[in-house]
Amino acid sequence: MLAYVIRRLLHTVLVVFAISLLIFFSIRLTGDPVTVMFSAGEPTKEAIEQLRASLGLDEPLYVQYLIFIKGLLTFDFGESFRSGGPVIDLIMEKAGATLALAVGGMTVAILIAFPVGILSAVKRGTAVDIFGRIFSLMGISFPNFWLGIMLILIFSVNLQWLPSSGFDGFSSLILPSITLGMILSGILARLVRSSMLEVMNQQYVSTAKSKGISDWAVIIKHAFRNALLPTVTFIGLQFGALLGGTVIVEQIFAWPGIGRLIIDAINQRDYPVVQGGVIFLAVIMVVVNLIVDLSYSLIDPRIKAGGSGKA
Amino acid sequence: MKKKLSFLFTLLMIFTLVLSACSSGGSSEKAGSDTSKENSKEENPVKDRGNEIIVGVSAEPQNWDPIDTFLLDWSTIATSVFEGLVDRTLDLELQPGLAESWEYLDDSTLQFKLRQGVTFHNGEPFNAEAVKFTFDRLLGPEGQKGPQYSNYNTIDKVEIVDEYTVNFKLNAKDPVLLTKLAGYGAVIVPPNYIKENGDDHFNNNPVGTGPFKMTGYKRDQEIVLEKNPNYWKEGLPKLDKVTFKVIPEASTRLAELQTGKIDIMKRVEVAQAKTIKDTSFLELKEIGSPTVFAIRFDTAKKPLDNKLVRQAINYAIDKDAIIKEILGGYGYPISTFQSELSFGNNPNLKPYSYDPEKAKELLNEAGVKEGTELDFFIPGNDGNFKEIAQVVSFYLEEVGLKVNIQTADGTTMNSDLIPNGNAGHMYRNGWGGWTLDFDNTAYQMYAEGEFWNPSFKDAKVEELLAAERSTVDQAEREKIFKELTEVLYELAPEVNLYQAVDLYAANKRVQNFQPPHEDRMRLEEVSVK
Repeated sequence: MLAYVIRRLLHTVLVVFAISLLIFFSIRLTGDPVTVMFSAGEPTKEAIEQLRASLGLDEPLYVQYLIFIKGLLTFDFGESFRSGGPVIDLIMEKAGATLALAVGGMTVAILIAFPVGILSAVKRGTAVDIFGRIFSLMGISFPNFWLGIMLILIFSVNLQWLPSSGFDGFSSLILPSITLGMILSGILARLVRSSMLEVMNQQYVSTAKSKGISDWAVIIKHAFRNALLPTVTFIGLQFGALLGGTVIVEQIFAWPGIGRLIIDAINQRDYPVVQGGVIFLAVIMVVVNLIVDLSYSLIDPRIKAGGSGKA
Repeated sequence: MKKKLSFLFTLLMIFTLVLSACSSGGSSEKAGSDTSKENSKEENPVKDRGNEIIVGVSAEPQNWDPIDTFLLDWSTIATSVFEGLVDRTLDLELQPGLAESWEYLDDSTLQFKLRQGVTFHNGEPFNAEAVKFTFDRLLGPEGQKGPQYSNYNTIDKVEIVDEYTVNFKLNAKDPVLLTKLAGYGAVIVPPNYIKENGDDHFNNNPVGTGPFKMTGYKRDQEIVLEKNPNYWKEGLPKLDKVTFKVIPEASTRLAELQTGKIDIMKRVEVAQAKTIKDTSFLELKEIGSPTVFAIRFDTAKKPLDNKLVRQAINYAIDKDAIIKEILGGYGYPISTFQSELSFGNNPNLKPYSYDPEKAKELLNEAGVKEGTELDFFIPGNDGNFKEIAQVVSFYLEEVGLKVNIQTADGTTMNSDLIPNGNAGHMYRNGWGGWTLDFDNTAYQMYAEGEFWNPSFKDAKVEELLAAERSTVDQAEREKIFKELTEVLYELAPEVNLYQAVDLYAANKRVQNFQPPHEDRMRLEEVSVK
């Protein structure tokens, strides 16, 4: 187990290294941050060169990369070109808001998907099932910027129940969470349905039924518990994706999170912030994956973390 | 299967109908009479906010130090916090700011008499010392790291004459210096405050002499300004508090305006104008901006090295139709690559008329074959311009040219493709002209070897540019610009499309709000009903 964890951590370091290379060089292929910093100023050639030098952008690329990697080793992501502040502070400032949104989105997804998925499976072939499947399809098909704007129009503009933007208490979390959770709930409901169906065909479920245990007890205690394994894996993996996928939702709802931070930074070519933000998200993804793999063995003791060589 | 599908469609349709019914009050296009009836019942949702307003903006600069930024988003907010020696009225006329008057003592000495009795928000006095500190900082190592420095490096040094008089020693003639001082890099900062707290603290906790002081700042969320009770202009500001809320998405900003969560909305989109006009408690405000848009030619590429071809393309495009149909009328025609707001604008020049027959003749004369292909680069994130590009491509097809529209990321285009001559035969170019003097634009667009000018060069243009910079006599300069604009008009290095119009919306409780031409909101005269 310990060896497995160590191997996975080394693996993580490799992944982060690969990402650092990719993000460092790809962002530099897309233009120069200096001209962007003058958005209203129309600088002369000399001014552009001067500013470039003061940001260290006149150094050869490999030197810039070495400085960046050296910083990473000491958890120093450098300073934002735009705000002048340390990147790590910017990320930490935003991480909470993004995490809250991801948890909110996940909660909505689970609250919708589990009942819908279970009911669909249990009432297979009936109207309930069809409705559940249509619901899943709709959830998957909605573009979330559209859904977000629709929710704002309905719940903020027309009904005036909920705030349409900002980061101000629980009520402002509701609409963004629904927007983020809807898409995931569609996929998740389908997954719950199919794993439930698979489990319900297993012999132990029929055995349990034949023992006279009530239908719902069988469904929840036996079938659902076993159907949970693939679902939890999926949720774990999706949680990482949710963190990265909050970008559009953060934009619509003026949510001060990491997604918006990175998008702004990309537009402004604020290299240190882009690099730091992407690597931060990457590390979280890898760590979440690790936790998912480890939790396998907790949910289903038959799976030994190290044994399968799963990586 | 078929049955299931039709069921699905029915359900989807019901759902869409429900949604659109719910949303119609906001943005759908209902029949006029219907809407107005509905509106008469509308109540202004803002009732008890008191003597304060909330402004919805799309972005904030993340850094309040004036020497570190050249962003319009900075100027929108910080214009209320900081002031410069020279100021502009809402109509962009230069007027005294923290300096009461100025004069050139000789060609290289500009003397300012400073206003007395002004204090910074922290109580520190404003005086010659503060002016000298500001410019030492702007021109010193700290300032040289930022984007503002290069605009002021004709100032050699600032000398204190007495407590309220300073002399600017110049190392070259700079006819645009005063207009630059009315810009925002040279606003006056408090010496003791910065010395005591450091630049990093100042970045997030700015202190100036302006009508409002910043009392709250949550990055990416909101900026709170409160009345400066010691402001030097008698009886101003009228508001007690102004809050700027950062809301990047235009439709969300509009929703906040409709629900009364904000009072003023910046960056209204053309498509939103109707909704605002249809809402009884809202007002739409339009204002001409110095920003202009053009299709620039890469004159190094055939056949655009030929003046006749460039003129032909100018005749082939109906710019008035573009303004009317695509911009909803929110744009003004231009004849050169500057707005009517800018010094050096030549009102006698009329934009190239729409004359496809003439275009064909000129192309014929230049020997351009039917079906010649041109690559046209546009930024991918500008939906409006994408439509314009399609219309342009249609117009050019009418005269026998074939246009390939290529989209690229806007930043990549500006910082890489255009300067390196890789943006096709022609490309979209937007230009702010922040000095409101043609000098800056003309130099950077047409002088040989400039960053954004990959290929255009002309001896006469070079000569006029040099002449314009060699004098501070405005009448003389105006004459030179008149000639320059005529030469450029004839050479047609671009198709000048339109001057942008900025749209703002405000709740009717807001009184006396005039939207700024150049994003710098001035709120001291604003009050609420």
